[in-house]
Amino acid sequence: MNPARTTLQKHAFFNNPHYRAIIYQLLLLLGLGVFFYNIITNTLANMEARGIKSGFDFLFSTAGFDILMSLIPYDATHTYGKTFFVGLLNTILVGVIGIALSTLVGFLMGVAHFSQNWLVRKLAVVYVETFRNIPLLLQIFFWYFAVLSALPSARQSLSLGESIFLNVRGLYLPKLINEPGSLWVYAALGLAIIAIFILRRWATSRQQKTGEQWPVFRISLFILFGLPLLASLLAGIPFSWESPVLKGFNFRGGITVIPELIALALALTVYTGAFIAEAVRAGIQSVSHGQTEAARSLGMPENRIMSLIVVPQAMRVIVPLLNSEYQSLVKNSTLATAIGYPDLFTVFVGTSLNQTGQAIEIIFMTMAVYFTFNMFISFCMNLLNRKVAIVTR
Amino acid sequence: MHHSASNPMDKNQEIITICDLNKWYGDFHVLKNINLTVRKGERIVICGPSGSGKSTLIRCINRLEEFQKGSLVVDGVEMIEDVKNIETIRREVGMVFQHFNLFPHLTILENLCLGPIWVHKKPKAEAEATAMQYLERVQIPDQANKYPGQLSGGQQQRVAIARSLCMHPKIMLFDEPTSALDPEMIKEVLDVMIELAEEGMTMLCVTHEMGFAKKVADRVIFMDVGEIVEQNAPNQFFTNPQVDRTQKFLQQILNH
Amino acid sequence: MIIYVLANILPGLIDWLFISANWIGETQDDCTKEGACWVFVNAWSQQSIYGSYPTDELWRVNLCLALLTAIIVSSYLLDKSLRAKISVPLFLLFPFICILLLDGSYIGLEKISTDFWGGFSLNVLLAAASIIIAFPLGFIWALGRQSHMPFARSVSIVLIEFFRGVPVLALFFMGSVMLPLFFPEGTNVDKLLRVWIVLILFMSGYMAEVYRGGLQAIPHGQYEAADSLGLGYWQKTLLIIFPQVVKISMPNILATFVMLFKNTTFLLIIGIFEMLSTTQTALSNSYWLGGYAAEGYIFVAIVFWTCCFGMSMLAASIERQLDTVKR
Repeated sequence: MNPARTTLQKHAFFNNPHYRAIIYQLLLLLGLGVFFYNIITNTLANMEARGIKSGFDFLFSTAGFDILMSLIPYDATHTYGKTFFVGLLNTILVGVIGIALSTLVGFLMGVAHFSQNWLVRKLAVVYVETFRNIPLLLQIFFWYFAVLSALPSARQSLSLGESIFLNVRGLYLPKLINEPGSLWVYAALGLAIIAIFILRRWATSRQQKTGEQWPVFRISLFILFGLPLLASLLAGIPFSWESPVLKGFNFRGGITVIPELIALALALTVYTGAFIAEAVRAGIQSVSHGQTEAARSLGMPENRIMSLIVVPQAMRVIVPLLNSEYQSLVKNSTLATAIGYPDLFTVFVGTSLNQTGQAIEIIFMTMAVYFTFNMFISFCMNLLNRKVAIVTR
Repeated sequence: MHHSASNPMDKNQEIITICDLNKWYGDFHVLKNINLTVRKGERIVICGPSGSGKSTLIRCINRLEEFQKGSLVVDGVEMIEDVKNIETIRREVGMVFQHFNLFPHLTILENLCLGPIWVHKKPKAEAEATAMQYLERVQIPDQANKYPGQLSGGQQQRVAIARSLCMHPKIMLFDEPTSALDPEMIKEVLDVMIELAEEGMTMLCVTHEMGFAKKVADRVIFMDVGEIVEQNAPNQFFTNPQVDRTQKFLQQILNH
Repeated sequence: MIIYVLANILPGLIDWLFISANWIGETQDDCTKEGACWVFVNAWSQQSIYGSYPTDELWRVNLCLALLTAIIVSSYLLDKSLRAKISVPLFLLFPFICILLLDGSYIGLEKISTDFWGGFSLNVLLAAASIIIAFPLGFIWALGRQSHMPFARSVSIVLIEFFRGVPVLALFFMGSVMLPLFFPEGTNVDKLLRVWIVLILFMSGYMAEVYRGGLQAIPHGQYEAADSLGLGYWQKTLLIIFPQVVKISMPNILATFVMLFKNTTFLLIIGIFEMLSTTQTALSNSYWLGGYAAEGYIFVAIVFWTCCFGMSMLAASIERQLDTVKR
């Protein structure tokens, strides 16, 4: 009997890799089916037993609770659907502030790591190592309960000039009021932006034709600020400031930034900034020294080497890391609920869920929102990533 | 090349003068009292065992390495601690690296144009035309719009040479340009270097390609433990080395 | 400028932290107002480490912590051949041993309800117990994601992306308000157990992505070599691929663990008495209404920082080792 025969005879259909794959997957499907069947029947039974309603009708019924801070008009008579949007906007607000500031802090600290100055370098290291190793929630509590609540009361507010006040109830900023004629200033601002856009294109094409370079950045800045300033002077400064004024126990007027928002945004910025600094450092370090040397041997000045050679290559490492940092920032903003900042999580999963008891709908809606945020961030960062990707074989 | 047309008058002109150059890495004395004069149009090959300081020496010439003692004059410009000064010298001196160091995020053409546009402030069209000329000279004009990662090692090194030439340097430094290449690609790079030598470019090459040295070098320098041990014309150097260390080194490198 | 700022802040800070601080005493009255009141931290230290676990039974918690340390140390010391036979099963058994010990009712000790478990020991044990189970589970998900079976692959992707894409806090709420609905009527699943399940799943999602990076870094030749030796799929995966993946992913695994460890403080929000939560309770205690938030938080911060920084350092040193091996 030859060996080939033996294998043939032993051949069973369940040893064929294709059939095996199908069998495994059928088993998985069966397992999942049983799992979900159980969960769904259990859930339905439980909901009936506890008298929990289902469906999304609750979104149209009156919420009956107030929200600490809202970017759109809202009071207790509005619906749960409206609370959803109030929370959503507050989440977006803290997310945008957090991403903008942490990017700024992170890049500064990341580049500081390569500074010539010993003190600056050490400061960057201490910052990163301190703040990324302390739980975020603790940092939020620290700012909120230990720092902001130690601020003086409204009557003894810390003040900057007579228009900015900081006290235990929050930060009070003056508000810009438009008066007739202010339209001209906005028009000038728009004009300035268009002018800068045209100027840049002109400068690029001029540079390509003649090789001469223009201090485009400085001229752009000049136009951006100069033109609106000129317009507002001509129109007789058509603005006024509404400063916060102490009335009784509190300030009235101006813009109020509640301490919850300050604490949350501050903690998110400092925490995520440390991670971004680390990402920037890793990115810059990933660019081989040979690149800098090659650019130097062409006689390029150091700042051009940074902007034309090192940073574009570092971005390819930084962008994917930024992507996940931004996503965790948005996810971490749910910690707002610990200090009562009214973000989506606090008003919806917190208060609304408590009042309606419709856990499944509310939690899934909330998860869907955060999922969408993440997808959106991923989408933007992937676009950016494609721009910085390097072609290899 | 048109700009380095061999005028018999300046054949004797000194273009690099190195006097008593000393360099330390911490306690380690890498370069010891180096004295070297290079005349315009001269082709010099520097060889020596690894760690002998030969790369460090040529990297001092365009100030990729600092030195602690001694003086260095390149084309009449003294190397001092001054950014403008250093940039001026770097513009005159081209360099080709062992690992090519092309910029991977830029196309071949962009790699070549970067220096002319940002350093010489040339119009883009002019820079591109020059770049294409040099790409044709190194025989890869069809790769202009590819990225470095898409090219073979030999092609990348030829691009690196073209990138330096685009700056119209007066001196070219080669830091082991063929040692990271597969054997079959070495020739194509050497051919470009030989052509360049024949056109009268002042060249300093750190290399172990002794065939190349015999063919084009005016002078071969042997370095060991941070010193220039021996220098001579190639036929003298190879047939009649004066120092023991040179003999040993030549035996190892020629009979491997 | 920086020196100026530092020079202005540092002396005052050092004075507050050390020189004028109050170290000894038992009640609020032992604190003067000039400096930090470390008496507060001292008085609440048992709470913040063990929660409300009965004082007489603390040896059980200590035993668990000691066991964890012993297992980790032994896995370093043991010979490579013994490691697979002893350390791995010990690791996998560890969470269950802890449950038996801490609960006590199954092994003839006094039953101590999970309501009394708490403090820093809970943070540590919960994080450890979660990653131990997530370690293999995450690898299975990662394999599923790499698999050629389309259905298995999509299930894995959905699982991984779901647990990574959703805020942990939402998962905790899901665990505390939705999970009870999933179980048959009448069953009462312990709150801490539900939290544990959530943490395992959350962690598995992250671990799966870490493993994916590791799997992609393994040269294709390794698979081919294993195939050419005639190894079956599971032999190949467990003997050749898994050890290499774990090795090269170690820095990232540690980083993920640090994240999980820090995130155990989030449990405060759903009313689990972990360390931060006990500190909050202490701060609102009527005998200690002097505003000792800064002291309390600094203590918690130092504890967490030390652990997390230690692990980051370890991760960095492993990374350096791997780098040198590669070269």
